[in-house]
Amino acid sequence: MKMFFQSHRRSAVLASLCVGLSLAALSGCGGSKPASSGSNASSSNGSAGSVAQSSSGSTAKPATFSLAWSEYPSWSIFGVADEVGLINGKEGEMGSIEKKYNVDIKLILATYDSCITLYGNSQADGVCITNIDILGASGSRNSVGILPTSTSAGADACIVAGINSLDELAGKSTRGLEKSVSQYCFERCLEKLGKNPADFPFSQMDPEQAALAFQGKNDGINSIMVWNPFVMQSLRSRTDSKVLFSSETIPEEIIDMVVVGKDSLSKPGGEAFAKAVIETFYLMNKRMADPKTSDETLVGIGARFAKLELDDMKTIVQQTKFFSQPSDAVRLFGDERFQKETMPLVSKFCVKYGLTPQAVELSYGDGKGMMEFSTKYVSDYLDSQNQK
Amino acid sequence: MIRRVIPTWLFIALAIAGVVVLLMSYEFLSQRQTRINPKQTTIPSFEKLGQGVKRMFARQGSDENPKPAMFWTDMRATLWRLLVGLGVGILASVIVGVMMGAYRWIEAPLSPIVMFLSKIPPTGMMPIYFAIAGTDQRMFTSMVALGIFFGMTQAIYQAVRDNVTDEAINKAYTLGASESEVIYEVIWKQILPNVLDCIRAQIGPAMIFLIAAEMVVSDAGLGYQIRMQSRVLNMNIVFVYLFVLGMIGVIAEYSLLWLRRRICPWFDGT
Repeated sequence: MKMFFQSHRRSAVLASLCVGLSLAALSGCGGSKPASSGSNASSSNGSAGSVAQSSSGSTAKPATFSLAWSEYPSWSIFGVADEVGLINGKEGEMGSIEKKYNVDIKLILATYDSCITLYGNSQADGVCITNIDILGASGSRNSVGILPTSTSAGADACIVAGINSLDELAGKSTRGLEKSVSQYCFERCLEKLGKNPADFPFSQMDPEQAALAFQGKNDGINSIMVWNPFVMQSLRSRTDSKVLFSSETIPEEIIDMVVVGKDSLSKPGGEAFAKAVIETFYLMNKRMADPKTSDETLVGIGARFAKLELDDMKTIVQQTKFFSQPSDAVRLFGDERFQKETMPLVSKFCVKYGLTPQAVELSYGDGKGMMEFSTKYVSDYLDSQNQK
Repeated sequence: MIRRVIPTWLFIALAIAGVVVLLMSYEFLSQRQTRINPKQTTIPSFEKLGQGVKRMFARQGSDENPKPAMFWTDMRATLWRLLVGLGVGILASVIVGVMMGAYRWIEAPLSPIVMFLSKIPPTGMMPIYFAIAGTDQRMFTSMVALGIFFGMTQAIYQAVRDNVTDEAINKAYTLGASESEVIYEVIWKQILPNVLDCIRAQIGPAMIFLIAAEMVVSDAGLGYQIRMQSRVLNMNIVFVYLFVLGMIGVIAEYSLLWLRRRICPWFDGT
């Protein structure tokens, strides 16, 4: 009886596996037709946050939009905005800005690369991401950069111990997040410093773990390429360590920003979501600039950013230049150098490392392209401020 | 009626039907997702999965200096780490487990420690492994080996205590066996099928620890590639890798069952 059952089971498993495999292979070769894309692409509702009726104003139940963020100075701002009540990150609960725009913002805190995966797979409407990694994601989802939040000016750094010059680093492995902003910064800095990046091996390690291993004086980890807070923590806990080079070498090439999926933007309430995020960001920047609330806000960000204290946060803000005024955002996205030099370089990097199969079509505010850098929403905010 | 026997053909037909339904619903979900977002890569169609497979096996490097395809590099790295880790872990736990089962003075100091440490999830101890074992092969080996060691030691030592009767041991002594002969000829041979079952049960956890570690630090391997490809949103490659992980598990399971029937035929019969 037992034997009979056993033989049953074995043959069944094998048979079904064989059939399954051949079926999958068959339908793969046959080329299942992709669903019609053009005409009725927008006919079905998106998965996240659709509302019953379109923008009929404040009476309709507000739509929920999610923003995925990871700990980073200009992104932790959203975590603090949640604390001070501008927005309430819980689904279904509203802060003051959410009420103003009648949109419910759900904050999702995750590690940097989980944020990318969440966003690319449409599990989040918006994401905090750099101008490098968004190109990979926009291959899966048409995207609009609505708000540049900061640029790295020393916040991404190559930290070494027992290595005194670039020549000594050659041939030794540097650890960091591969195929991402870290590797981009690593290669670009080396290029600018007159070296050939091919001579400098770079290998994958989670930045947090790389920093921990470096601080623990692990064998073989004498060079790491990480971002803040890991830069600051590593320098502090190892007295024999120093910065070999940092994103200061490539000013305004690494842009931290908020990106929203084009599909989400076109949903009812999507534009309100974009505007609410923008207003939150600038209000928080005002609080940082205001001497009365400045320290308190920085301490708040510090608490949401690797538990850093006030003095550390003051350094951090130096290394991460905030685009604190709407005019900064308008200038950056319209900047000749950003459009004609920086982004093509980034695009080349993404193709070289297979983040995108071919160069992503970029656009600057004309509503086209797979990845659009738009100042529309920031300008709208600026106009509304001027009218007051 | 519970446990009523059904004909073999029906059993096989239903098993096939299950897989077919699974594949069809996958295709349905994929097409639905594509209608929502034509560029989606979240649930790739079978065609896209085929492209993923192609990329996995695409030639790397130049003509003069060819490198193995991505998939083989990853498989080699992962399987080697898994085999070495399992090997070390199994060897150590068999030795310690048998000793604990055989000698009370070894059992006494070790059993509380083994019992307690077997309860800590090894993935939680990952930062400690990085700190003390570095980030290369040594770390993966210790991660997998220690990951399965405590649980397996516990199981083997229990098998020795429960399955090897005093009579068998006394008989061997009466027939003039030395201590080492009792351990090898009586205890070891008696618990061999239990050991094989233990290994079968530990392959799953061993893979969890290995994949988790590879996701955090590694240049190659199935775990590394799954994290990397999911960040660049190539789900068509991620899914195929997951399928491969499943197949590794299935193959390991059936080969160990086969091995047990082969070398301990008496065990199934009873």
